[in-house]
Amino acid sequence: MTLPNTTSTERAGLLLRAWPLQLLPWAVSAAIVGYAFIVGGYVATVIAFALVYVVFVTGLNLFMGFANQVSFGQNAFAGLGGYASAILTTTYNWPVLPAMIAGIVLAVVIALIIGYPTLRLKGHYLAMATLAIGLITYEIAVEWQSMTQGYLGISGIPPLGIGSYEIISDRGQLAILSIVALLAVFIAARIKSSRMGRAFLALGASENAALALGINVSRTKLIAFLTAAAFAALAGALFVHVVGYVSPEVFGLHMVILGFTMLYVGGIGSIAGPLIGALLISLLPEVLRGFKDYQDLFYGTALILLLIYAPRGLAAFFERRERTGSAS
Amino acid sequence: MITRLSINNLTKRFGGLVAVGEVSFDVPVDGVTAVIGPNGAGKTTLFSLISGFLPPTEGTIRFEDDNIVGLTPDKLAARGLVRTFQLVQLFPEMSVLDNVKVGQHLHTSSGLLAAVLRPRATRAEEAQVEAKARELLDLARLSHLADRPAKILSYGQQRLLELVRALAAQPRLILLDEPAAGLDANESKHLAAMIRQIAASGVTVLLIEHDMSLVMSVADRVIVLDFGRKIAEGTPAEVRAHPAVLEAYLGGVEIADV
Amino acid sequence: MSDFTYFAQVLVSGLGTGCIYGLIGIGFCVIYNASGIVNFAQGAFVMLGGMITQVALTRLGLPLPIAAIIAILLVAISGTVLERVVVRPLWDRNATMFVMILATLAAQIVVERATLLAVGDQPRTLPVFTDLPPLKFGGVAVSLQLIWILVTSCLIVAGLAVFFQKTKTGKAMRACAIDREAAALQGIPVKRMLALSFALSAGLGALAGVLITPTQYTAFNVGVPFAISGFIAAIVGGFGKPSGAFLGGLLLGVVQAAAIAGFGSGLKNVAALSMLLIFLFLRPGGIVGASK
Ligand SMILES: Nc1ncnc2c1ncn2[C@@H]1O[C@H](COP(=O)(O)OP(=O)(O)OP(=O)(O)O)[C@@H](O)[C@H]1O
Ligand SMILES: [Mg+2]
Repeated sequence: MTLPNTTSTERAGLLLRAWPLQLLPWAVSAAIVGYAFIVGGYVATVIAFALVYVVFVTGLNLFMGFANQVSFGQNAFAGLGGYASAILTTTYNWPVLPAMIAGIVLAVVIALIIGYPTLRLKGHYLAMATLAIGLITYEIAVEWQSMTQGYLGISGIPPLGIGSYEIISDRGQLAILSIVALLAVFIAARIKSSRMGRAFLALGASENAALALGINVSRTKLIAFLTAAAFAALAGALFVHVVGYVSPEVFGLHMVILGFTMLYVGGIGSIAGPLIGALLISLLPEVLRGFKDYQDLFYGTALILLLIYAPRGLAAFFERRERTGSAS
Repeated sequence: MITRLSINNLTKRFGGLVAVGEVSFDVPVDGVTAVIGPNGAGKTTLFSLISGFLPPTEGTIRFEDDNIVGLTPDKLAARGLVRTFQLVQLFPEMSVLDNVKVGQHLHTSSGLLAAVLRPRATRAEEAQVEAKARELLDLARLSHLADRPAKILSYGQQRLLELVRALAAQPRLILLDEPAAGLDANESKHLAAMIRQIAASGVTVLLIEHDMSLVMSVADRVIVLDFGRKIAEGTPAEVRAHPAVLEAYLGGVEIADV
Repeated sequence: MSDFTYFAQVLVSGLGTGCIYGLIGIGFCVIYNASGIVNFAQGAFVMLGGMITQVALTRLGLPLPIAAIIAILLVAISGTVLERVVVRPLWDRNATMFVMILATLAAQIVVERATLLAVGDQPRTLPVFTDLPPLKFGGVAVSLQLIWILVTSCLIVAGLAVFFQKTKTGKAMRACAIDREAAALQGIPVKRMLALSFALSAGLGALAGVLITPTQYTAFNVGVPFAISGFIAAIVGGFGKPSGAFLGGLLLGVVQAAAIAGFGSGLKNVAALSMLLIFLFLRPGGIVGASK
């Protein structure tokens, strides 16, 4: 039973080696956003999209990385948040902020209604049900033309802003989105190290053990699902106001694959993963400029390669993790 | 004698197989009750019935005067009935300390909003959870591994961790499914001491065990199952001499060893 | 047209698409039985079947039967490529079910986008196999393409039944379905069965694509809706049972045709997806299977 403890020098060495690596994703992210801020223009737009996706992927990570559940339909909630906010601000002339909040509330309410029966499913049934929810939302966006204007989409959506103050400049948008993205990541980090976060992780690791310890598994799953839906809806609402336009394609299957690619590049389950993953993946196609048509091809291929060869993504490098084996 | 758990005519069938058949017994509040029996006797199934993981085919289970048949495991844990598993079920990627913290879920209350805003009450609760978890790790002699992921523990350490994690839920009845499996002699001794200590603190212990020396050293009462039926019940000494038990254990080889 | 003939007409056209969904559903079952994997790239096979035939027909000027056979063979081969390149490495690593689904879904997107780049986004169609006026039964018109679909699918279903019951390979695949480890112990080459199941399933999907394209159209993005419909068929039939999947497909086809007749074709996919959700929520074991 007596085990050799890690000596203090060993520990200090570990820390020394671990620290800069743990800071790396944050430093790189800050550098990317900082560069975009200085250069402005097109780069700033690209990074603005990336930051919106940080919010989306952070939510995905809560549900999938922490609670280890499956959802291929988070785009549905992004779509709900986005369309609700777009319609309220254009057709009904709501101010932006209340419209966005209404969009998020709507998405969470819908998530509550469909989450209850959906989350009882397991395995490929759960996967297919969530995929179907995403596709139904897409179909509705196409078909409900009196509301959504179908394939044409809604244009002239006002930019982000508070009251009469509108944020129109690239840099202003970048600044506000940086704050929101950072806030999303911060919230995820706080959740992870809290009672609820531990319950997410616990049920993700062993539903039976979680149950045996008194965790109401179905309720906790639902909470994780609703939180992820709220993040997705926020991302969707941010998106439409940043771009000023929305069409069904924006929230199609493309969004799901893109989100997963970002999550797996950054490292599923880690805190910095969604941030660095979203930024890097958004930048890459821009590096290969002129290959716009190849984007989804690229994302899909990258995702397959990651799943096969690097399932832990970049987090494998910047997060200290130990290999399985005896401690003694 | 006050009864903690009272089982009446409990039956569980899997298709044609009677895993547990018309079993009745009482578990008093004080002391350690052991359930023994050959492989496949229905011991784990019995635990799964009591802890709400499986619905019984027939019969009643009373826990502190309430019929608990039909309650889910999490509801039972909230009432003070907690189990461990024959195949250890830790949260392997979480730290040893966090595993024990999860055990305290029931006795804490902060939700998502508190997690984000961290008001004073939540910080106080978290500090308490941490202190309690460290105390339990001391008991299991795992403090030095508190910040390591649970998956790196040795098998015996994992069993101990699962035990203290269950204790963190502050049960009044704890069901331990073969807690000594895979432990070396030293660890076994330590475990026996821990079990006595748990029982002494007022927690009713019901345990399944194959290691007869452990049963003889910690159990006050023994229930013997064979092919789903209860074939004997009594003190360790009584059970050991019981002809049906000797029969079930291949002419008494295993028991005679002790 | 009387209500009755209208109803019969809807039913007949529903049976046609239903056969197609059934074939795709069988494709799901074949792979699932051999491996426990649900292949979310199943729709890509359907799309490729129609698309390759169309390209071989118009660009290479091959006769339709030859073009169709070439397409089905090529898609069957691409099925094994998918198995080899995407599925096998994950399988060897014991990846989780979710990772497997995500990888095959990504493969679906890759095929879709590659097709878009290769042939553009224009919908394409194929000529009907036999260009004769439809047969009339009372007031109900039955097109010859529909008869092609019905006859071919029934032949395939019967052929598969013989294959699984009588041939050594078919029996080996069934053994894998029942217990993969036991099958491996008996010396059945489990991995080869996996590759074979992908080839078979891809070929079935391609055939479905070839059969249906003359009555509808094909485009780079028709795969996912077809895959979903096939998946529904498989679920309705109690996942893993090929004949159940075929019946499930027929049921879905008819329900969908009724929905189109009632609410317009725009809600065709919504009807199918809603049926999926209803089944998942209420009877995940399918019609024949016990409800959970
Ligand atoms: N879910 C199940 N479905 C069908 N049969 C089961 C199931 N669980 C257990 N059994 C059968 O019930 C019988 C009792 O099993 P159980 O696991 O309760 O035995 P046990 O006494 O715990 O054995 P061991 O000492 O090996 O742990 C065995 O024959 C087992 O195969
Ligand atoms: Mg057992």
